[in-house]
Amino acid sequence: MTQPRTYRAVGLTLRKSPAGEADLIASLYSREHGKLDVLARGARRLTSKLMGHFEPLTLVRLSIARGRTLDIVAEAEVVNAFPDVKADYASVARGLHVAELIDGFSASSASNPQVLDLALQTLDAIGKQSPAATDDHSPDLPLRYFDLQLLQLSGFLPELYQCVECGDGLEPERHRFAAGAGGALCADCITPPEIVVRPLSLPALKVLRLLHRTESVDRLPQLNMPATVQREVHGILSETLQYWLDRQLRAQSFLDAAKLA
Amino acid sequence: MTPDPTPGTTRSLGQLIDRLHQLPGIGPKSAQRIAYYIAHVPDDEARALADAIVAVKDMILFCDECRNLTDASPCAICANPQRNRDQICVVEESRDLVALERTRVYRGMYHVLHGTLSPLNGVGPEDIHLPQLFARLQDQDSPLQELIVATNPTLEGDATADFIYRRLAGSGIRITRLALGLPVGGSLEFADETTLSRALAGRNQLE
Ligand SMILES: [Zn+2]
Ligand SMILES: [Zn+2]
Repeated sequence: MTQPRTYRAVGLTLRKSPAGEADLIASLYSREHGKLDVLARGARRLTSKLMGHFEPLTLVRLSIARGRTLDIVAEAEVVNAFPDVKADYASVARGLHVAELIDGFSASSASNPQVLDLALQTLDAIGKQSPAATDDHSPDLPLRYFDLQLLQLSGFLPELYQCVECGDGLEPERHRFAAGAGGALCADCITPPEIVVRPLSLPALKVLRLLHRTESVDRLPQLNMPATVQREVHGILSETLQYWLDRQLRAQSFLDAAKLA
Repeated sequence: MTPDPTPGTTRSLGQLIDRLHQLPGIGPKSAQRIAYYIAHVPDDEARALADAIVAVKDMILFCDECRNLTDASPCAICANPQRNRDQICVVEESRDLVALERTRVYRGMYHVLHGTLSPLNGVGPEDIHLPQLFARLQDQDSPLQELIVATNPTLEGDATADFIYRRLAGSGIRITRLALGLPVGGSLEFADETTLSRALAGRNQLE
């Protein structure tokens, strides 16, 4: 069996790094092949026809030639550069949060078109948010929707309907949350001491269930969440993501710091 | 602990190759080539190179005003009375300043950030020389006429420009961005849509 020498892919650039004199290596999440690292020869030269095609958060259609170590971009065409996302630094950081998590949760060669669709829809939603949405009163609901749905698509959805220990249904106001245990806990179950358990309020549980049930990001209702509930939902999702990734969320810490500034 | 040298090389050569490989833009093969070259040059030439590296580390400092690397603060540009103090051009790196100076068109002042905001690398406003820029603008004796933001037209360069713009909104300072458009010798057909739309937005009257 011989493989064809070139193949096509449509993918979102997650990050790029310089290589050699004027080349760059782009990491993409593609519809056809999952995570993909490709070499774009000469793409850092101002006169290169590949220049500008591999900025992070750009959806590109590629024709790729198989190479010995890295596959090489033969042709590239920008499908969507998400100019609205790139219009201000806070939405750039939101967009990079999407890229960071797709990068962290996806394995190469395992393709899941739903992951790409979720990313693209989230970027669209970020672009529609007003630039002033950095203040604490406007919920980053599309991002939280993305967090929860990505956990679900990756097989790490926290349990939100029954106690992860005993399996009993959760009674109102008698629930807690532990990322390390896999989700919600009833008030009675005892967990090993190394597992961090945090309180989980009823409003936050309801918001998490809503994020889980909503079919797509543009179907999210307008919620007037108190700041405390926003912080709680944000904290629970960040903790869960960090638990599975086993590292800090960088774009999110950047955003959190920007809100304080 | 340094691993055992590859057969055929020595520990000292191996260490030099490792060091060179850590430099930007030097791949393993170039590192090897340079290391062997150094092994072959006369003693005093190799020492002169090592001395130059040490001298840079001993001498170099940030200019108090523009944050460019210099041997003495203020640097030659900041100390030059011929330069126009009503304009400050913000660049990412010293090498960008050098590129702009080569054009001999710009006669104003500079501010070197030494980086860009980079959410994925944990680089925030405090990690580059942005606070010094804002402090400098506050301390200006006479109001600044124009702040030219010349960060690169990349995702992170643009985000940094936007951050500066938002921080200075309402300060009365005129903030401009370098015109972005088609590269000389480039071809419309191959330009990506972002470059093309920016080139359209920044078009000039023919005179
Ligand atoms: Zn239980
Ligand atoms: Zn200076």
